[in-house]
Amino acid sequence: MRKMIQVAGRWSLVSGVILSTPHVAAAQKPAVGSTTKVSFSGETPGREPKSFAPMVGSWLMQRDAGQNVLFIDGRVWKRGQPAGGLADKARELYGARNEEFIESIKAFAYYPIAVYKGLDDFENGEISVRFQMIGGTLDRCAGILFNVKPNGDYLTVRYNGTEDNVVLWTFNNGVRKFVSRAPTLTPLELGTWHTLKISVHGTSLKSWLDDKPMHDYTLSGPVSGKIGVWSKTDSMIEFADFTVTPTAK
Amino acid sequence: MKRSLLLALLAVAVPTLASAQAKKQAPQHALDAGQACRVVPGAGWMKKQAEWFDDSKHDWTNDTLRTQLLAAAGLTAPLSMPVQRGVQIAGQDPQLGPTAAAMTEMLKKMAAQRGGEWPTKSVVGAAGVHAVYLLSQSDTGLGRAVLHRMMEAGPAESPSADVATFEDRLRLVWGRKQIYGTQFRSENGKIVLAPMEDSAHADLRREDAALPPFSLGLCFAKTGR
Repeated sequence: MRKMIQVAGRWSLVSGVILSTPHVAAAQKPAVGSTTKVSFSGETPGREPKSFAPMVGSWLMQRDAGQNVLFIDGRVWKRGQPAGGLADKARELYGARNEEFIESIKAFAYYPIAVYKGLDDFENGEISVRFQMIGGTLDRCAGILFNVKPNGDYLTVRYNGTEDNVVLWTFNNGVRKFVSRAPTLTPLELGTWHTLKISVHGTSLKSWLDDKPMHDYTLSGPVSGKIGVWSKTDSMIEFADFTVTPTAK
Repeated sequence: MKRSLLLALLAVAVPTLASAQAKKQAPQHALDAGQACRVVPGAGWMKKQAEWFDDSKHDWTNDTLRTQLLAAAGLTAPLSMPVQRGVQIAGQDPQLGPTAAAMTEMLKKMAAQRGGEWPTKSVVGAAGVHAVYLLSQSDTGLGRAVLHRMMEAGPAESPSADVATFEDRLRLVWGRKQIYGTQFRSENGKIVLAPMEDSAHADLRREDAALPPFSLGLCFAKTGR
């Protein structure tokens, strides 16, 4: 029989699926095998999310078709501002190492990111997010952020609607590098919901777009770090149902 | 069978949706072809275009290429505002200059050279970039390369309104639906919006691209003004 537990305001169903997480009080490590779905239901439209820390870009909650969604508004990116309160947020996430994080993040001002506050360290398991492309003249990117280090290095698997592809990128010491492009081109319509998912087991990385396999790739090393959502330049994207299931290796 | 039925429904539904949205979102803009399309003075899209297409500083680096591009595209600087109304009607392409074909070939050669000079705003000025956009309209192969270059160059070097209108045009060529609502065709004497996806968020995208509101674009298309 499945058992429901409550941890820091989140409901989780051990050995099963979920329960919504309106917001997260403090970072922690959920039980291995339990799934946490961030529904955003307890968030306030028009404000920054409580469950994520927006580091770059304008990330706001908004209502769409009766549900709360996390919206990255790329129109604001053009003004060239990092997210408000970057220093405070970095301090909250990384304490004394926040300056290192900030320096690196500033180098990535083209790439809006919001870090999930509910998990300190993701090493193995699955992460998925639903997304809807709204617009963007240069880019229409929705990505899963993972392996986020205190120095601002990270990995992302993202879909880009101006290229119709899913790509794994790495960001190290202020430099973005292409790692692997999924061979399948998948045009998606704007204004429709889709699901991007990754699984990490040791150095094995797999990705799916709407349940279609995209990547089966071997990383150069194991994953360990924070997770979140990612976007690019002037993309306007809505995110919903950010779901994470940490597992044993 | 199902597919053809779906396509038929879409063909009917898309213009209906667009029209419904236009009516809902823009009471100030007349949709009746007999009325003028009112442009609100100081509207954001007009301001953005005016700022971007301002060549008064003469700060481009290749005046020879700029002069050639303008002549080939049949343009005279300064450009009159608004430069981009976001309305293209199939088969009604602008009149180009006598050197258009030769310049198009030259652009093809430039596009094929990765890393070579490309006529962005800092190279040929705003009018020069708009000339590249006009010259690339009729050649699908060149169009794809030019759109890619414009997107790659970013908003400081490429006018968002041209990029958006161009993407819509090419998406239709590629068998996809447009996303900004800038492409129209004439059917039995009526101007009809070409197939479009996600018309619900069209004005967000158009605002971002410095295009007039969807309702005003529809009005421009229907009245030819």
